[in-house]
Amino acid sequence: MAAAGGGRRCRRLEGEAARAVLGAAEALLFDCDGVLWRGEAAVAGAAEALGRLAAAGKRLCYVTNNSSRTRGAYTEKLRRLGFPPAEPRHVFGSAYCAARYLRQALPPGAAAYVLGSAALGAELEAAGVPHLGPGPAALPGPAPADWARAPLDPAVRAVLVGFDEHFSYAKLCQALRYLQRGGGAGCLLVGTNRDHRLPLEGGAAIPGTGCLVKAVETAAEREAFIVGKPNRYMFDCVVSEFNIDPARTIMVGDRLDTDILMGNNCGLTTLLTLTGVTTLEEVQGHQESDCPARQSLVPDYYVDSIADLLPALGD
Amino acid sequence: MAGCRRLSGAGLREVLGPAQGLLFDCDGVLWAGERAVPGAPELLERLRRSGKATLFVSNNSCRSVAELERRFSRLGFRGVRAEQVFSSALCSALFLRQRLLGNGGSDGGPGRVFVLGGEGLRGEVRDAGLRLAGEGELGSGDAEPVRAVLVGYDDQFTFAKLAQACGYLRDPQCLLVATDPDPWHPLSDGQRTPGTGSLTAAVETASGRKALVVGKPNTYMFDCIVERFGVDPSRTLMVGDRLETDILFGKNCGLSTILTLTGVSRLEEAQAYMASDSAAAKDLVPNYYVDSIADLIPGLDE
Repeated sequence: MAAAGGGRRCRRLEGEAARAVLGAAEALLFDCDGVLWRGEAAVAGAAEALGRLAAAGKRLCYVTNNSSRTRGAYTEKLRRLGFPPAEPRHVFGSAYCAARYLRQALPPGAAAYVLGSAALGAELEAAGVPHLGPGPAALPGPAPADWARAPLDPAVRAVLVGFDEHFSYAKLCQALRYLQRGGGAGCLLVGTNRDHRLPLEGGAAIPGTGCLVKAVETAAEREAFIVGKPNRYMFDCVVSEFNIDPARTIMVGDRLDTDILMGNNCGLTTLLTLTGVTTLEEVQGHQESDCPARQSLVPDYYVDSIADLLPALGD
Repeated sequence: MAGCRRLSGAGLREVLGPAQGLLFDCDGVLWAGERAVPGAPELLERLRRSGKATLFVSNNSCRSVAELERRFSRLGFRGVRAEQVFSSALCSALFLRQRLLGNGGSDGGPGRVFVLGGEGLRGEVRDAGLRLAGEGELGSGDAEPVRAVLVGYDDQFTFAKLAQACGYLRDPQCLLVATDPDPWHPLSDGQRTPGTGSLTAAVETASGRKALVVGKPNTYMFDCIVERFGVDPSRTLMVGDRLETDILFGKNCGLSTILTLTGVSRLEEAQAYMASDSAAAKDLVPNYYVDSIADLIPGLDE
């Protein structure tokens, strides 16, 4: 079970302990990239492990900070890579959760100006939140002076920042104008997540949504409400859908400062897998530090890969 | 701690009399948009006749010094020479020249600079004798490494350029430099436009690096001024409109500071910093303030 008040030990999960921990759990929340798959390649043995968990009656949910795919796209990828059948309601992506947040936080009829992908737009549409913005900026002229004169949509009461490959100074300019309008009080600033980098194969990386959120926050001199891990909003979405008990739930992830931190903060049992971005040495560094903030990045357990759970799930 | 006192009457003569020179910020001090602040050209003329040096120190990284010189003239400021003007574009180029070309540079040559910014900034970097990434290259065979990423005001900033900058910054030897930290700039209609600071924040977050910031409130631009003109800080006044850059710059360089209220900062903000308990806030309090720099004219001899 999760250790109370820090002091988590990051023990390898195997043998009897694995049987006990998995047996006691009613639900498992999985991060996806670096846990179930890397790019288009499933982690070997991951699908079987999840298949056995499902067969044992465990609730499986998928919790991802990725804001450029819809829940439908995730269920399709799970199916394509051989994972147990999942419905969109089992997938909690930051795009879907941001749309839920805005539906609840915006007054009826209010719209969002979106720095984000078509998928983020699609989730907003599905949630019934009017929005504008995805795609390249529609510029009324070549210079910033022109952009600052373009009409603003009177319905906009929120700026939402997600992963946006069309991010540009012009869009940043528009976002700032909405946030400043009316003295700044009436417009929400929401970000899907703060990930700095999206790792690619071979050690390269592209800038993550966190960079774009930081640009907007700096220009506007205010802090965004962040939907994604490690903040707890996405966990609250899972609870509201499935009424899970944190004490009987395991969070499985590959990033300490998102997956594990959220799991620890929400009172879940946390399991780190080493098939993603984190090394054991990093965890040990946090374990040995005196700093409470670093201590809260330490998981209860780790495995080299979630395939290592198979022996504990055998019949 | 500075007292944020209104400068007027006898106080004007007491403060201006002993001063050998004044450093002026430009936007919001000398002009706002395309209009000179009324009385500002006359003030500069009177300062010249009083034998006081006037120098200009601006975080604006859009314009080359040559463009700024033309701007001064166009807005009615007579006799301002390029050598009096220190922009963050110029000083960033000087900084990069020092780091990449000075001391023999690093082995393998000075390398190229990847500039996120407009033609004014790019021109200053070229004029400093540096080569820009993306110019005059024949293809991947001409692979002088990129040794610095320079973030300036870039109204053509895109995700692709952000990704490109990060690619270069994977080399720990590649410098990350920003022209200035300004988060936003005012437009004439009261709206705000994002500043270099917001773009730098994106590059820092993506690369995991902290930028070396050339502009105010950091003191490098003052070092450039001293190298060219040998200024005595104790006899020099800094005049600006932005507490977090101009006034803090003055404090950092040992200058007495005058806030003018024709630009970004409000008097209430200065007073709030003065009332704050934080030591850092106290450094943002100006020694003096005026409604406009035209108010300084009576402090000068006829």
